[in-house]
Amino acid sequence: MEVVLGIRAKDGVILATSKAFTRGISVLKATDDKTRILNDYNILGFTGEGGDTTQFADYIQANIQLSTMREGTELNSKAIASYVRYELAKSLRTRKPFQVNVMLAGLDKREEPFLSLIDYLGTRVDLPYAAHGYAAFYTMSLLDRHYTPDISVEDGLKLLDMCEKELVKRFPMEFKGLLVKVVDKKGIRVVKGNE
Amino acid sequence: MSGYDSALSIFSPDGHVFQVEYALEAVKRGTCAVGVKGKEIVVLACERRTTLKLQDPRITPSKINRIDKHVQLAFAGLNADARILIDKARIEAQSYKLTLEDPVTVEYLTRYVAGVQQRYTQSGGTRPFGISTLIAGFDPNDKTPRLYQTEPSGIYSAWKANAIGRSSKTVREFLEKNYEKEKDLSDEETIKLSIKGLLEVVQTGAKNIEISIIKPEETRSMTNEEIEKIVKEIEDEKAAEAEKKKPKKKD
Amino acid sequence: MSINAIAKKYSYKTLAERELEDANEEYEHFVPNLSTMSPSLTLPPISQPTEFLRAHTDDSVNPECKIKIAHGTTTLAFRFQGGIVVAVDSRATAGSWVASQTVKKVIEINPMLLGTMAGGAADCQYWETWLGTQCRLHELRNKERISVAAASKILCNLMYEYKGMGLSMGTMVCGCTPKEGPTIYYVDSDGTRLKGDMFSVGSGQTFAYGVMDSNYRWDLTVDEALYLGKRAILAATHRDAYSGGSINLFHVTEKGWVYHGNYDVGPLFWEIKEKEGSFNNVKV
Repeated sequence: MEVVLGIRAKDGVILATSKAFTRGISVLKATDDKTRILNDYNILGFTGEGGDTTQFADYIQANIQLSTMREGTELNSKAIASYVRYELAKSLRTRKPFQVNVMLAGLDKREEPFLSLIDYLGTRVDLPYAAHGYAAFYTMSLLDRHYTPDISVEDGLKLLDMCEKELVKRFPMEFKGLLVKVVDKKGIRVVKGNE
Repeated sequence: MSGYDSALSIFSPDGHVFQVEYALEAVKRGTCAVGVKGKEIVVLACERRTTLKLQDPRITPSKINRIDKHVQLAFAGLNADARILIDKARIEAQSYKLTLEDPVTVEYLTRYVAGVQQRYTQSGGTRPFGISTLIAGFDPNDKTPRLYQTEPSGIYSAWKANAIGRSSKTVREFLEKNYEKEKDLSDEETIKLSIKGLLEVVQTGAKNIEISIIKPEETRSMTNEEIEKIVKEIEDEKAAEAEKKKPKKKD
Repeated sequence: MSINAIAKKYSYKTLAERELEDANEEYEHFVPNLSTMSPSLTLPPISQPTEFLRAHTDDSVNPECKIKIAHGTTTLAFRFQGGIVVAVDSRATAGSWVASQTVKKVIEINPMLLGTMAGGAADCQYWETWLGTQCRLHELRNKERISVAAASKILCNLMYEYKGMGLSMGTMVCGCTPKEGPTIYYVDSDGTRLKGDMFSVGSGQTFAYGVMDSNYRWDLTVDEALYLGKRAILAATHRDAYSGGSINLFHVTEKGWVYHGNYDVGPLFWEIKEKEGSFNNVKV
């Protein structure tokens, strides 16, 4: 019941993840960060089976950074998306696959805003806006109605606020609000929810 | 087929492992690398081999390599061997962070590199690495500069300033004479001392020197212009000193 | 398969070759990767160890099952101005049977680190003791005490390696290092690892959270914090049938952990009821 939401604006990308970490009937943590910074211009949001999620994200993060050290240059967003998809597809054909759904947000070649949705089956779609899990049922209609391709990050954040309000109102689970990160020309920054 | 002949690294009757000593010879033939620790920074300076007329100097691999954000490695010896060792070190740095969350310490990485080098002196069918390395950097959340050296045998040691490779003895002696132990070197002094040391053996000047300045938060390479400026300063100083000496002689 | 590979299988290795191999294996230990850090366990020769384990241990499905694993517990730990307080109950249940009232549920990993026990008692005891050996090795290799982050990550990676094979653990790794300050990590057998200020684990966790959340402040004094820990476990033992026995209390500071005694919940309940005027559902 975790929320992962992404909006691609014309000058940057927004990635929002829910802050609750729930086990059984208790919220164990209300300030959880379900994202990993891969390099200066790319972040990965994730949901799925406990343990698998962090283990997979850490593994991806280590390999992206290793590649940066080896090649002396950063991978662009499309290459990362393709690599993440490959790892999930590879893992799917093992005895114990990673049950992780991810969302990659970044600036491709430090220029072009990029958002990619990849599920545990290895399905990858590059989209203007996307959500994982039940959150999609509440927010996609809103995004369909209000999103325009030339939306700015500022307006994107307003749209995200609408989505969060709707989730708080109708979503039956407590998700302790959203942690919102933005990737734009200035790099990665936390916009909301990290005290 | 006794199996003994597949292992090249065996003792000679008087206790030497010749292959390791030959590896040290290979190091001595490699271009020179210098490391100097200042109060707040570490500097790695390397001699760059003169490029041929048609060679592209911009994309010819550097002798100073980044292992992780906070650690740099310079080497002297066989370039091709170094590539393997550097890749192993990079993988270990990431793997360490993956299993223990904290980034590697410079000492740990040195020990790992030395460990790999040692292993190759004792395993069957392998040849020792023909390189010595200088590993410099900062530990996570720590502002103490660190500088280590490793050798083909697998020995590792910590230094205030040191040189490896061709004519390293001359440079080391120069550093010993000019490194003021009591005084902490400022950033500029550290950079200057490392270049001065290297100039003892590099005649061709600035265009054959590469320098990496490592600070707790950032690492950067100096541009040719920056190096040239300092080289010129040093040459001017030398000329001025020679000037001073001359009139005395005449008197 | 190449002819060489087939031949190799049947060829005899010389003593020297075998020794070299052994020596190389030894040097592999230089690198602390997980496969060399943990002992290897032989798995039962069946297709699904988890299914097998469940069939023979899950008393909620099959009350006649032969092995009953100790499960019910309340454990808690929280950070405050003066360090960390760790409090646990001491009851072990196997199904509806109270197997013991005097279980040590705080595992002293080393003089600086504590681990709590919830879930399978054997799993917690074994792997946290194992963690102690890993921490010591880290200390010897690096001439520096291991961080709580690294220690908890070692345990978490191990849990993840055995994920889905029937391990059952919910634990809090608590410690204090100069670089981190007082730190708590929650680690469980799913491979989850969380850093936090306050955790409670076990069947009585909800009751403990209730008391802790409503009376917690960062600037609690040490005595107040110890009392809060004790009181939260008492609340859980009162309402959760699977928690009880006595309370063990610990305080962790940068100097290491200090044991603050064992309190039988029998007399403690009446003492606190009288003092606070609480538990008014119970008549004297």
